Amino acid sequence: MKNLKLFVSLISIFAVVALAAGCGNKTTAQVSETVPETTQAVAKKFIVGFDAEYPPYGYITESGTYEGFDLDLAQEFCNRKGYEFVAQPIDWDSKDLELNSGNIDCIWNGFTVTGRENDYTWTVPYVDNSIVLVVKADSNINAKADLAGKVVMAQAGSSALTALEDESDEEIFALAKSFKSLEQCPDYNNGFMSLESGMVDCLAVDIGVAKYQLNNSKGVFKQLPENLSSEQYAIGFKKGNTALKDEVQSVVFDMYKDGTFMKIANKYSDFSLPDMVCLGEYVK
Amino acid sequence: MINLNSIIIQVLGGAGASLLIFFSTLVISLPLGLLMAFPRMSKIKPINYIFGFVISLLRGTPLMLQLIVWYYGPYYIFGATLGLSWRVPAIIIGFSINYAAYFAEIFRSGIQSIPVGQYEAASVLGYSRTQTFFKIVFPQMLKRVIPPVTNEIITLVKDTSLAFVITYSEMFTVAKQIAAAKTTIVPLFVAGSFYYIFNYLVAFVMEKVEKAFNYYK
Repeated sequence: MKNLKLFVSLISIFAVVALAAGCGNKTTAQVSETVPETTQAVAKKFIVGFDAEYPPYGYITESGTYEGFDLDLAQEFCNRKGYEFVAQPIDWDSKDLELNSGNIDCIWNGFTVTGRENDYTWTVPYVDNSIVLVVKADSNINAKADLAGKVVMAQAGSSALTALEDESDEEIFALAKSFKSLEQCPDYNNGFMSLESGMVDCLAVDIGVAKYQLNNSKGVFKQLPENLSSEQYAIGFKKGNTALKDEVQSVVFDMYKDGTFMKIANKYSDFSLPDMVCLGEYVK
Repeated sequence: MINLNSIIIQVLGGAGASLLIFFSTLVISLPLGLLMAFPRMSKIKPINYIFGFVISLLRGTPLMLQLIVWYYGPYYIFGATLGLSWRVPAIIIGFSINYAAYFAEIFRSGIQSIPVGQYEAASVLGYSRTQTFFKIVFPQMLKRVIPPVTNEIITLVKDTSLAFVITYSEMFTVAKQIAAAKTTIVPLFVAGSFYYIFNYLVAFVMEKVEKAFNYYK
């Protein structure tokens, strides 16, 4: 009986603590939400629309705040311009509606340019998420068509493998069917060793990884001019809103020049973001 | 639950690759281990030392590393481009030689556990050295090494999962891939169950073998 009492009281202590912790979270979230409203009259708002389910570009943390590479960049832009930064999660399907109605100023969220070139006013791409094909430097494979009957390798669980196994993309699916076989490696080092030693004929990898290997092992590998898939991210504005685009772009260029951009990118190195940044090709 | 069935079928798809490594290694490494045990016990010192060193190297370095050496060695050491067809032979060679080293030591312990008196008795009875070994020592050694050999065989079943280090997709690799694709750990437990069931069978069979050999009791 005594034990039971002790047990019940322990349970209730737990419940109270859990409740208090839950309340604590809620109140902090409310505070952070109300802060911008009080300062809204002071500064011009810069509203970034983003999909809150797209790490590492923009996502919701366990404590309920929004974080991400793109949001950090946008925050930095606002700090430099003295704007008030508003991160506005949007329904990805109604992004055009939000943008055209002026509810948001731009979409800054790992936004793919490829295929949407004429739908928005774009900054230059700052992240390249393409998947490329790497072969040995002395290989006679020079185009995707040469891969017929060859052994191609991709890392297990990588986006390259996902792309090659995607049956809904007819072009890639036909290409993958033309291979002699599609092999998987446990890590990229193994993949490049297999490629160098002639075990496989071609390796499909993210552009960041390929760049790194090509730079560090000069003359051993070459990258095919054709990509397996091309995907570049840029900041999208309502079509015709060139003024705001130019303003953002010039600040982003400044951020790149003074190192802030890469500093933010390095925060997300777990996602190999620093290797994917392609802004350097455009900064004058 | 329909999902579980499809997971089991997919994981089983990788079981063939694991079984191929397992049986090939067993068939090659057991006799090879016996062959390595003799020079290891040789009275000629250089042979004794060489095999002692080879066995210590095989037992003292990770099997994972040995597989990488067998697979990539021909290219990075000799410049020979062998292609993907070298992968399965490299795995079987790597596993067999590594396991032969362990078996050699087990066989040596079995052979050396036979009392000297039996050799003397055999000699008195007019047995030749070959006859002594095959008719007197070997059968007794076989009985004594079954428990440690069973240990190694069980380890071998689980070690087959190392083959992915040289890009060979065996059962555990397949399970990991399904786990990643479906974001569930169920395939890993399914694979774990298969390893357990198979090892249970191994232990069961070896126990039967042990009993069959126990003909004097």
